[in-house]
Amino acid sequence: MDVIWFAFFAVLLVGYFALEGFDLGVGVLLPVLGRTRDGRDRMVAAMAPYVLANEVWLVAVAGTLFGVYPALEGEVLFALYPVVVAMLLSWVLRDAGLWFRRRADGPGWRGFWDAMIAFGSLGLSFGWGMALYAAATGFTASPMHPMGLMLGMVVTLLFAWHGWTFLAWRTPGDFGAVRSGRALVVSGAVAALPVAGVLAGAMPYLVEHTVSAASLNVLSLMVLPFAPIMLGAQLWVWRTFRPGKDAFRLPSFF
Amino acid sequence: MDLLDLARTQFAVTGGLHFLFVVLTLGMAPLVALMHTRWAMTGRPHHEAMTRFWGQIYVINYALGIVTGLVMEFQFGLAWSGLSHYAGDVFGAPLAMETLLAFFLESTFLGLWIFGWGRLPRWLHLACIWLVTLTAYASAFFIMLANSFLQNPAGSVARDGRLELVDFGALLTNKALVFSFPHVVAAGLFTGGMVLVGASAYMLRRRTEQVEFFTRSMRLGVVTAAIGVTFTMGFGYAQFAGVQDGKWDNTGAALALALMMEVGQLLGLVVLLVMLPLIRFLPRWRWAHPLLVAMTPLPFVLSIAGWVAREVGRQPWMVWGKLTVADAMTPGLTAGMVTASLAGFAGVLGLLAVVDYVLIARAIRRGPREPDLGAGVPGETRTPALSL
Repeated sequence: MDVIWFAFFAVLLVGYFALEGFDLGVGVLLPVLGRTRDGRDRMVAAMAPYVLANEVWLVAVAGTLFGVYPALEGEVLFALYPVVVAMLLSWVLRDAGLWFRRRADGPGWRGFWDAMIAFGSLGLSFGWGMALYAAATGFTASPMHPMGLMLGMVVTLLFAWHGWTFLAWRTPGDFGAVRSGRALVVSGAVAALPVAGVLAGAMPYLVEHTVSAASLNVLSLMVLPFAPIMLGAQLWVWRTFRPGKDAFRLPSFF
Repeated sequence: MDLLDLARTQFAVTGGLHFLFVVLTLGMAPLVALMHTRWAMTGRPHHEAMTRFWGQIYVINYALGIVTGLVMEFQFGLAWSGLSHYAGDVFGAPLAMETLLAFFLESTFLGLWIFGWGRLPRWLHLACIWLVTLTAYASAFFIMLANSFLQNPAGSVARDGRLELVDFGALLTNKALVFSFPHVVAAGLFTGGMVLVGASAYMLRRRTEQVEFFTRSMRLGVVTAAIGVTFTMGFGYAQFAGVQDGKWDNTGAALALALMMEVGQLLGLVVLLVMLPLIRFLPRWRWAHPLLVAMTPLPFVLSIAGWVAREVGRQPWMVWGKLTVADAMTPGLTAGMVTASLAGFAGVLGLLAVVDYVLIARAIRRGPREPDLGAGVPGETRTPALSL
């Protein structure tokens, strides 16, 4: 059961990188590729239907951390206190940007929230690299270590490339390129490589700190039967919003 | 303020902001789902307009519920790791179920509902909003389950300085849970109903062209508020049987309780003995509309008072009788860290909350013509949007 729950945890975290990675990448690219307001509207409209289904993977990661590794939850988050706070604020601003950008008129309003989307996506992507570096060293090194900053750059660039691939898949030609679904799977897998590496290294430590068998049984009984529904709901999102005729329309709610 | 006060303030601010938005979400989700059901069954434009207009208010409100909730979830690990160390075996399970099961599905289905407009088949689109409602209530249940464990640590025993889960069933039948969960749900309905009433009164007072739309909305709001307030009061009184001894010795908690009960009962009387019997005339009585608008913030104030009573009354315990709040604080936490994060969270979330309420007010003032929600669906003839 310990190993099943580790696998569950790993799938959620890797899935978050592969999925939310392209949302953050599109956000980072917003000022680069979206030179015009129409361009930015199209970029946001392309990712909008996926964001709610993607970001929630991290919410689930945190919940699993609490439920399955309660002894580590505080340790991990506290060791990264300033980074976690900055990442949370980035996440909040990115989300607020998406929800608010079209709720009022005027170029100033939308421009401001578009900037928040870009700024928040950048902060969250960069923060992930720093957090992964600190985690890889067992929280002995500061996330501000040059290696941490470098990994922050790497993760940001990987997400940006993944986001670019996503746009080339969902809005073929609009932003210069056309990519297949297979290319998107590859860029997702590559974007998730750093976190997969850290998880592989941390596996023995995590499994050793699994919660008591009694608590794990309750979780298994309550959660695992719903795993197919969770997967089904996610697949439904991908089926509903797949590219093709009328793939996305403007105005989009975000 | 010392470190403990700072950390508690941070949690109280984010938690309080979170619930302001959650309570309206809980109240409006079933109302929007009902409106959508009537639209799906009849296909009438009036029901579509109701679904889109009130659905838009619901989702704008939802945005702040999400972002405040994110901060809440991570704060347990940032500032209160003593809780997960001591009681993680018990407390972690309901939190994991809330995020993994309930919120994961809620967020996924909400995205499908918002962006699947005109794309999903009619009945599947309708299913999405009902699934959002169901999972929102499941979320509320798991959170109340976790909170009730803090009030009354049932189903667990202390062993080697930590709490161990021995009986999950006892968590489900916790006397601190069985009446508090329906109390919260009913308070949500009451709040949702009062928002419908207040917004409709505002628009009717402003001589909107959409008289029929807001007349019907106001009546739906009055009926919902009447049902909500009845059950809120009923389950509220029923809760006293499950309250810990000595909870009201705390002056702050006792004051919050008194405020909630006195104002709540008064408001309940107004809703049940004045608004409900006059439901036919209320939409036409323009002199009454400013009063109805002025009443709209009251359910929110009462909801916060209820939480202050419940949570301040728990002090100084984190887990009643087992672990104090001071002992639950993360070791090594410094006043500088908490001050900086408190300023960041309170500043950003506070500003966003104000912006969100301004946007809700703006969406109400624009009226039911061309809401953003469900806009741009092809194959429909629409008048040009007033503004894009």
